[in-house]
Amino acid sequence: MTELRGGDRGWDELRAQLREWRAAIDRILPSWWGRGVAVLAIVIGIVLPFAFSSNSGFIDATIKALSLAVMSLGLNIVVGFAGLLDLGYVAFFALGAYSLGWFGSDFFFKAHVHVGVAGVAATETGIHLNFLLILVAAAVICAIAGTIIGLPTLRLRGDYIAIVTLAFGEIIGEVAVNGTDIHLGGGMTLTAGNLGISAVDLPYFPGIGHFNLLELRPWYWLILAILFLVLFVNVRLRDSRLGRAWIALREDEVAAVSMGIPLVKTKLQAYAIGAAFGGMSGAFIGAYFTTVNASQFQFGFSVLILSMVIIGGIGSIWGAVVGGLLLGYINYWLLPDVLNNAPSKIGLNFQLTSVQFGIYGFLLVLVMVLRPQGLIPERRRKLEMTGAIAPEAGDSELAEPVPEMNIGAVE
Amino acid sequence: MLRTYVGRWGLIVLLAALPAFYVVRDLTHGYQAGFVHGHAVVAHDLSRIGLNVVQGLANGAIWALIAIGYTLVYGIIELINFAHGDVFMIGSFVAVGLWGTLGIGLSTGTAGIIGGLILTLIIAMAVTGALNVLIERVAYRPLRNAPKLAPLITAVGFSFILQNVGLLWRGGSPQSVDDLINQGNTVFNISGVAIQRGYILAVGTMIPLVIGLGWFISNTRMGRAMRATAQDPEAARLMGINVNQTISLTFLLGGMLAGAAGLIYALYQTNIWYFQGFKAGLIAFTAAVMGGIGNVRGAVLGGLIIGIIQSFSDNRLAGGEWTEAVVFGYLILIMVLRPRGLIGEETREAG
Amino acid sequence: MSVSENGGALMEAQHLVKEFGGLVAVDDVSIDIPNHSIVSIIGPNGAGKTTVFNMLTGLYKPTAGRIALGGRNVTRMRPDQITSLGVARTFQNIRLFGAMTAVENVIVGRHARMRAGVFGSIVRAPWVRREERAVVARARELLAYVGLRESVFDQLAAQLSYGDQRRVEVARALASEPKLLLLDEPTAGMNPNESAALTQFMRKLRDELELTILLIEHDMKVVMGVSERVTVLDHGTKIAEGPPDEVRHDARVIEAYLGTAA
Repeated sequence: MTELRGGDRGWDELRAQLREWRAAIDRILPSWWGRGVAVLAIVIGIVLPFAFSSNSGFIDATIKALSLAVMSLGLNIVVGFAGLLDLGYVAFFALGAYSLGWFGSDFFFKAHVHVGVAGVAATETGIHLNFLLILVAAAVICAIAGTIIGLPTLRLRGDYIAIVTLAFGEIIGEVAVNGTDIHLGGGMTLTAGNLGISAVDLPYFPGIGHFNLLELRPWYWLILAILFLVLFVNVRLRDSRLGRAWIALREDEVAAVSMGIPLVKTKLQAYAIGAAFGGMSGAFIGAYFTTVNASQFQFGFSVLILSMVIIGGIGSIWGAVVGGLLLGYINYWLLPDVLNNAPSKIGLNFQLTSVQFGIYGFLLVLVMVLRPQGLIPERRRKLEMTGAIAPEAGDSELAEPVPEMNIGAVE
Repeated sequence: MLRTYVGRWGLIVLLAALPAFYVVRDLTHGYQAGFVHGHAVVAHDLSRIGLNVVQGLANGAIWALIAIGYTLVYGIIELINFAHGDVFMIGSFVAVGLWGTLGIGLSTGTAGIIGGLILTLIIAMAVTGALNVLIERVAYRPLRNAPKLAPLITAVGFSFILQNVGLLWRGGSPQSVDDLINQGNTVFNISGVAIQRGYILAVGTMIPLVIGLGWFISNTRMGRAMRATAQDPEAARLMGINVNQTISLTFLLGGMLAGAAGLIYALYQTNIWYFQGFKAGLIAFTAAVMGGIGNVRGAVLGGLIIGIIQSFSDNRLAGGEWTEAVVFGYLILIMVLRPRGLIGEETREAG
Repeated sequence: MSVSENGGALMEAQHLVKEFGGLVAVDDVSIDIPNHSIVSIIGPNGAGKTTVFNMLTGLYKPTAGRIALGGRNVTRMRPDQITSLGVARTFQNIRLFGAMTAVENVIVGRHARMRAGVFGSIVRAPWVRREERAVVARARELLAYVGLRESVFDQLAAQLSYGDQRRVEVARALASEPKLLLLDEPTAGMNPNESAALTQFMRKLRDELELTILLIEHDMKVVMGVSERVTVLDHGTKIAEGPPDEVRHDARVIEAYLGTAA
């Protein structure tokens, strides 16, 4: 057996040993074991609610975690597939939630629009669309917003994209808070600011009836269905012409456009699709929390979702799901319900929820330094993130004074 | 779509738009300058403008100091130190903490306050300088060869850790602190504009620090090493410059200035908050970009300009509610139209 | 999208100028590329050859001048548009997508010839599946055509040998079914045998695939051996042009390379 000597040597040898074991396990398992696990997970996902009471706290946390996993999948398209560091994803949460607030409540009380709704929603003033239509509306609004937000970033690289998207996220957050000052006529305002739009419709499906907050199972299956849809789209896109175009642009923009990949269109598609998913989840969250409140839309949320993508495994679809669920559970269950009082048990005077974001920050640092490819690495991203493949390769020749390289950005 | 070629003058026009609007308005329409015998007095001069500008410069001095930190770091390793704003916040917190430790309070005599503040300044700068160096060692250096995404993410992580430290230290709401220097006292008047102590403090502390930094960069061996490394790290290394040390030094200097800014902020705003770093960071970064990232003079210029814009937005435009959106709007505009800012060079980041 | 011929010249560039800030990299260079020919651009380092390439492929917008492809004005077109019109290139420093396999690299090269969009990709209708299968098959064909051993088809591009990487780059360029192929110093780093093989290969491309080839080269044997016409650039201007033999004896060309005053 290898002797472990101290210091770095010991770490390297430990890692080598772990790799050996991992390879051995991989050899024993049949080639379809990955897919088998996925199928098993899906099945468990579908039947899980039956193992719990219909208003179980665990299912409640799972529903919230699943909605964050959808967001994570959306951001994974932008950050993971297309390599565009979006730090303003909260904007799509906001727009999705406001889609519900605008089109599924009494907020625009001067209007009388009712499509596919029943009960109170069918007679109230305001715009009341069926929840599925609201999901569509959220997706469309966010896709447009994503395109708009993406446009200024097309000529920028790296950190600057992060800052610009962050700025947009903050602006939308501010509009949400100050929307009470934006008058749309007839006494209606754009948003309800920090008070929030509270009487949002509960989802209603003809034949199933209205959702309510005591019966969690329908909510669970709804978000699960949304997750499956988003997963499906992700998998299909990843292995498609568009997916390859994203990878190519990420690796080497110059080579990619020279091979016929239209830069603007391809990048904007990533923004739009990623945003649409965020919007759908945002609408769901608004319905589930029965409120659309400007204080929900802070930068911290963008970082939370980004953490899910990074920790789960940047660029990896299952990584995004796992990251989403993991941090979702930590956020909504582990920290507030299970571990919150742990520090006081050892004599420290604070609750864990108050250091929540510090914990996420710490996890981010940890992952980046120790295992940048995340929990479930995506093959190519792993190579890039661990430095095996040099990112932004070979731009020496075209890096001379080239301010206006014609890579096809808007002009 | 908009042409990317706006040019320096175009940017200046855009930046001057807000103040210019109010200059015109004040001169023509007038503004309410107080009450006399129950009637509002409407003045048609520039003293309110003057006040806005002076306030803006005072705030701007703080942003300038923080912006220099961003620009120095970006100039040398082409990375945005996302945690820099929170280093500034820690600077404020440390400063206020030191007042307690050193026993400086409202009842301390003038000599005591001045002495104590100088000591606080030195210690706070040392702490924030060291903190910045620590962040570089932990978050950036190990990831020097990783894709740019990686250190940015660790910096975000660090930012959150620092914010949480602030949160635990002094809670989640803004806390008012002792107005040690009576910052609101008018020291003198320039044609109707009252110059408060706070303004003098801010600008008066910034100027020597900036001059000192400028001297250091131009005249010392280490300063030259910084410039060389910023130009071409590989060549610098080949010439025998210890690049790692130089980078650490850059972070140290940037951090120290942020610490100074933190102390000034606490004295001037008489208010500290764990979240102040995030806001300040974005404003200061906007300033750095506006001036021209990588360029220290640009950072100072950008800081002062942003301060003035912010002042107009805070005082004239619906009371500060929309200021953040205005500043970020400018950030986006600059990034789109003229990423190299007012006096910066072409940067590769801008495509 | 086919490219119609225009009096024999597949691509024409007239009075191209490229300025970077104050630096004039290319100053009034005109070049026309006859259909089905192999034409070379040579010149000392820094002469502006790659800059000309970059303008022809749309990566740089010329400061002045006009570029026409098959009679069509493409001066301000984006690179991806020019590629879909039938122009493909390789790079001086190999720019493969390192984290993709050789096959995947070539498949990306075919992007402009594929039709699957967002919805097509999501739904994956039968025509999309067929397109994907066809693209993979074509990619493997092209890799074999350029002489890559099948055993490395599915290796990551970053792990291939230098020579193999060059081959994959060519295959990737060919994947877009170009009419005009621009090769930027294709024999860099090759030994004489390999250069000779490449020369043969270029002729094969011209004859079998009816390609037109524009070449930047430093290896004079290759240039003289394969070119029908040679254009010489120095300090951004054209100093000579003509059949290889003429150019090789031109006094200005010799002076540019050797730096001696007459």
